[in-house]
Amino acid sequence: MNENQRLQQVLSGNTSAFAYFVDTYQDMAITIAYRICGNMQDAEDVVQESYVKAFRNLRSFRSDSKFSTWLYRIVYNTAITHTKSQMWIGGREVAMEDASQLADNTLEINMNESERKEIVADVLQKMPTGDALLLTLYYMEDNPVKEIARITGLNEPNVKVKLFRARKLFKEIVVSNYGVQITGT
Amino acid sequence: MDKYNKQKEHEKFRQILASAKVGAPENLRHRIMQQIETEKALSPHSTKRKKERENMLREMAVIFGTMYAILAAMVAGVYFLLGKDFLLSPRFIGAAVLVGSIFSLLWLISRLDSHLRESKKIR
Repeated sequence: MNENQRLQQVLSGNTSAFAYFVDTYQDMAITIAYRICGNMQDAEDVVQESYVKAFRNLRSFRSDSKFSTWLYRIVYNTAITHTKSQMWIGGREVAMEDASQLADNTLEINMNESERKEIVADVLQKMPTGDALLLTLYYMEDNPVKEIARITGLNEPNVKVKLFRARKLFKEIVVSNYGVQITGT
Repeated sequence: MDKYNKQKEHEKFRQILASAKVGAPENLRHRIMQQIETEKALSPHSTKRKKERENMLREMAVIFGTMYAILAAMVAGVYFLLGKDFLLSPRFIGAAVLVGSIFSLLWLISRLDSHLRESKKIR
């Protein structure tokens, strides 16, 4: 059964069919909310609110876009409203000792999984919210630039430029804070 | 070569960031589904719509039922008093059309009235 058929089931009154969408997309939804809110409690509330909004407005969903894109857009907007944050203006200051000189094009983190996870989480925390979110959307979910533009409301060239900067900043923070380069083992 | 490096870098980022995915807590699904079920149960929309539809059908049945009853009475009266031929005369057909138009207008007015009341309620 494809997503459109499941949507039709929900629209015809079978509420429990909506559980499929919760199961499938809740991890990414909470990741997006967590990146914006910065804490798990608020992220959970945002995701819950977003799913309820999605359910209420399911009739307005047009199948010309993916359900995930539509849902993530709701999560994004709800999280922004919840935190009253401005995503693309200013941002958190990152303490870097002119790390741009240290970071070249290589990316090496040779360490065990848990350490790497910790470092990545810390680096994303140190990055401006918008940049961390773009990396999350692009690399975790394999969303194409077009979908990211729809979710964030930015235009495609803007997303590309911001992604480029976010990658650069990510490497710079890794080098300046941990003195290591990231690599997949 | 540059394209190859870029692709390699993307692959590394993908590997690294895969570990940073936040997992939803187990009870979140339950919370979401419970809220949705509760909202659906409490939502007056479905019952309201059903009621509106029922009202509309009842109104229609009353108005057009009366109209057909009057037309039937007219046909019967004319048939017995003035004969079969008068039923096909332009005078009788004109009278039947007039009755039909009056009741249709009545139905239109009642629909307009309920529509205006509904929009006033929403405001």
